[in-house]
Amino acid sequence: MNPTLPLWIICALITLGTVFYVFYLPGELHLGPRKSRLAFLRERKDVVYENLRDLNFEYSAGKFPDSDYRSMKASLEEEAASLLAEISRLENAFPDSIRANKGVRF
Amino acid sequence: MLKSVFLKRALQFVLLGAVIFTFLAADQDARFQSIGHQLMCSCGCNQVLLECNHVGCPLSDGMRNELASYIQRGDSDNLVMQAFVQKYGPTVLLAPTTTGFNRLAWIMPFAVLGFGLAGIYFVVRAWRKRAAPLPAGSVPLAQGEELERYSEQVRKETEV
Amino acid sequence: MSQIGSFALLLALALSAYSFLAGSLALFQKSSATDRLGETARRAGIATFAAVLLAAVVLVVAAFTNDFSIAYIYHHSNRDLPGPYKFAALWSGQEGSLLFWSLLLASYGLVLRLRHKTDTRLFAYASAIIAGVQVFFLLLLNFAAPPFGVMQGSLPADGTGLNPLLQYPEMVIHPPMLYLGYVGFTVPFAFALGALIMKYPGEKWIHITRRWTMVTWGFLTCGIFLGAHWAYSVLGWGGYWAWDPVENASLLPWLTGTAFLHSVMMQEKRGMLKVWNVWLIFTTFLLSILGTFLTRSGVVNSVHAFAQSSIGNWFLWFMAIVFAACLYFYWKNRSHLASEHKLESLVSRESSFLFNNLLFLVACFAVLWGTLFPILSEWVEGHKITVGPPFFNRVMIPIALLLILLTALGPLLAWRKTSLESIRRNFLWPSVGALAVAVLLMLMPSRWGTPFGMKPWQEISSLYALMAIALSALVAFTVISEFVRGGRVIRRHTGRNLFSSMVQLGHRNTRRYGGYIVHFGVIVIVIGLSGTAFNQNKEKEMGFGDRMNIGPYSLVCRSYTQDDNPNYASEWAIIDVSKNGKPLTTMYPERRFYKASEQTSTIVANHSTLQEDLYLVYEGQNQDTGRPVIKVHLNPLVMWIWIGVWIIIVGTILALVPNAPAPVRVASPAPAREPEPEPIGAGN
Repeated sequence: MNPTLPLWIICALITLGTVFYVFYLPGELHLGPRKSRLAFLRERKDVVYENLRDLNFEYSAGKFPDSDYRSMKASLEEEAASLLAEISRLENAFPDSIRANKGVRF
Repeated sequence: MLKSVFLKRALQFVLLGAVIFTFLAADQDARFQSIGHQLMCSCGCNQVLLECNHVGCPLSDGMRNELASYIQRGDSDNLVMQAFVQKYGPTVLLAPTTTGFNRLAWIMPFAVLGFGLAGIYFVVRAWRKRAAPLPAGSVPLAQGEELERYSEQVRKETEV
Repeated sequence: MSQIGSFALLLALALSAYSFLAGSLALFQKSSATDRLGETARRAGIATFAAVLLAAVVLVVAAFTNDFSIAYIYHHSNRDLPGPYKFAALWSGQEGSLLFWSLLLASYGLVLRLRHKTDTRLFAYASAIIAGVQVFFLLLLNFAAPPFGVMQGSLPADGTGLNPLLQYPEMVIHPPMLYLGYVGFTVPFAFALGALIMKYPGEKWIHITRRWTMVTWGFLTCGIFLGAHWAYSVLGWGGYWAWDPVENASLLPWLTGTAFLHSVMMQEKRGMLKVWNVWLIFTTFLLSILGTFLTRSGVVNSVHAFAQSSIGNWFLWFMAIVFAACLYFYWKNRSHLASEHKLESLVSRESSFLFNNLLFLVACFAVLWGTLFPILSEWVEGHKITVGPPFFNRVMIPIALLLILLTALGPLLAWRKTSLESIRRNFLWPSVGALAVAVLLMLMPSRWGTPFGMKPWQEISSLYALMAIALSALVAFTVISEFVRGGRVIRRHTGRNLFSSMVQLGHRNTRRYGGYIVHFGVIVIVIGLSGTAFNQNKEKEMGFGDRMNIGPYSLVCRSYTQDDNPNYASEWAIIDVSKNGKPLTTMYPERRFYKASEQTSTIVANHSTLQEDLYLVYEGQNQDTGRPVIKVHLNPLVMWIWIGVWIIIVGTILALVPNAPAPVRVASPAPAREPEPEPIGAGN
């Protein structure tokens, strides 16, 4: 018997196993949802909220004088409010898309 | 392999010990340390001369003795360095000289720092003048009653 | 055995090439058929891991079974080598370390591909890019540096053994840490490039890669300092950092990576600096490849000569291709990277990040410049010169001092703009404290030991050391004031004591307060580094009963002797140490001669305290008298460096912990809104 035969067999088996794993795709694929504009806006909202919470916290820790605090807070709140307004507009315009979990293509 | 080195070391110690501790003033010892840390051992080990400690180094002992004798003779720092460059080539100096092309080595890092600072200055100036900030993802700004209502909600949700 | 290893590598190459090509095709040709193609690409990526793992296992098994028919094992192991070092043979030579690199990349890729449900599309892009990088390393392993090459001629009885310098416990973990760091930057790189190619909406990809980047940074930091500690303990020249090209190579991606960790916050929070960040992470990745190139190619002289070879050109080509790809996609999609906000003031957190980045990049440039200047000089002047520690120290110390100053200022500035009033409010007390520390250090008598009794007007090194310590104190005070002030707010709200309030504070925003702890670790390291200004050393031949004095220490040689075991022969001295006349300890500096490799190495004896290290090296033996030559170094404050590294590790781990949920005051639902619907899309 050829002494390298067992090696050939091992290599062939490994190759077969790999090909089977890579190309045999039973059932549904998990493709995940497309990122919607709504999801994007919610992300933005979370970021602005976090910035606002940070600002409030640092203000109460005594890091900023009142005038700095008020102007920074106002501009962040305006940004957050605009996002909220846009989010609720989209939610009202595409109520189905929320339940169908698809959203508007970005 | 080890023997010749140790023989050399023995010689070195007789000489160095004699030279440094008996004849030299403390000032000369300081100069030995300071110049010795600006020279490289030329054997290919890439170590500072006074820190070269690898067994079998064919050069460092001789170089240290040379250095000690130059200092004892009263040569200036510059002269000592030049003597080493003459004998071992320019790689013996651990840092580039401040003459000719080598000056560039020293200038560039600080030049880049200068350019960077200037760059920041201009960038900041340009950014401050930038028209209106682009709202995130081109969201229209809320206005009037809408702004009031949602701002109120934001305030409630972000209290500490 | 070796055939299976070679086969596994070939299979891994085929799989990663498939994963790269099919993955790219699936992403550029969108249809439902290509969705299935994309899934096979992902699976091929996972299978790559298995194949590379198989190859690595074969190599390790060959080391343990002393299979010297494999050339790599013959050159990097021997029969009497202790077990852990046989395992370490995997990464102690060039072919093995490339295999190890590939294995780590495959492991990162595995984790990423298994977590693809987080954001399938983005992960598909990242997966294809990682597969592309993997193809490069597997090409090297298959065609340029095969680890399973067999010995020609008769089978040798024993191997030539592991380089004795590497036979040290830390050396078993130093390369893996460093490699985890180098390789890890591939992940944020892949995400950044992927997000750019697909014009990923929003900054969520940063959120996804944040932990990857921090973990990678932590590994790289550990790797660098383990290397420094190894150099200190093994090379026996009394220092831990020599500005060697290979050390510099590990510092380059660390510097740009650190800059990225900071500036990416600007993008996450304010949607600014997008172009900058993308290029910063591209650069970091390229620099980690450049680091490998410098280590492997031998274009610059280095003490790491054991790793040199001729595969440098492969790395140059790879870097050129990666750079071209980055440039192409940047140019194509540059409009996607427009900034969302404008800068309002030069005195703001934003601009402090700009300065931070500038300093890190200037530092990176200076290191790179100094490392490559000898090559440039050879081109221009026709002869090589040396750029060594005196150059780097003189250039880097001022930059480092500025960085420490910024570490103190930055976190206290507000986003957007900071008024003078608020600066005064935040900096008055920390500055007073830092000044007090500086004055104290100068006034206290020097018999208290280093660093007391400094005379900065006498020597520039002393001035630098004083500035470094004073600025470190400034950072420490600002960090403490951040914790205390934040803690007080929590205490007001919860009524707990200040300490538990501060713990809760850290838990509420782990990244920020973890980051502060990292800053604290950094300044502890800086204090340790500044001790270098006061190093002393002496050398003496010591017979029985001979005495040597250094600082407050007195050393008496009690005896010297030798020993022998199958792996090495050793000589050592027994030295009794007393401090200020009181007996302190006995130390055993040693020198070993490794038989298989016929090389010697020193085993340093080090008595380490918070104030200073007493560091003894057995330099050799006077062959005529048989007496040992002992070199003693007195290195102040070195222990602070290692303590600082532990603090950094703690801070990094803390920053990885998820935030405690903010105490939400449930707001009255807004009018005309349903209860919060299921969030759609990425990243939940």
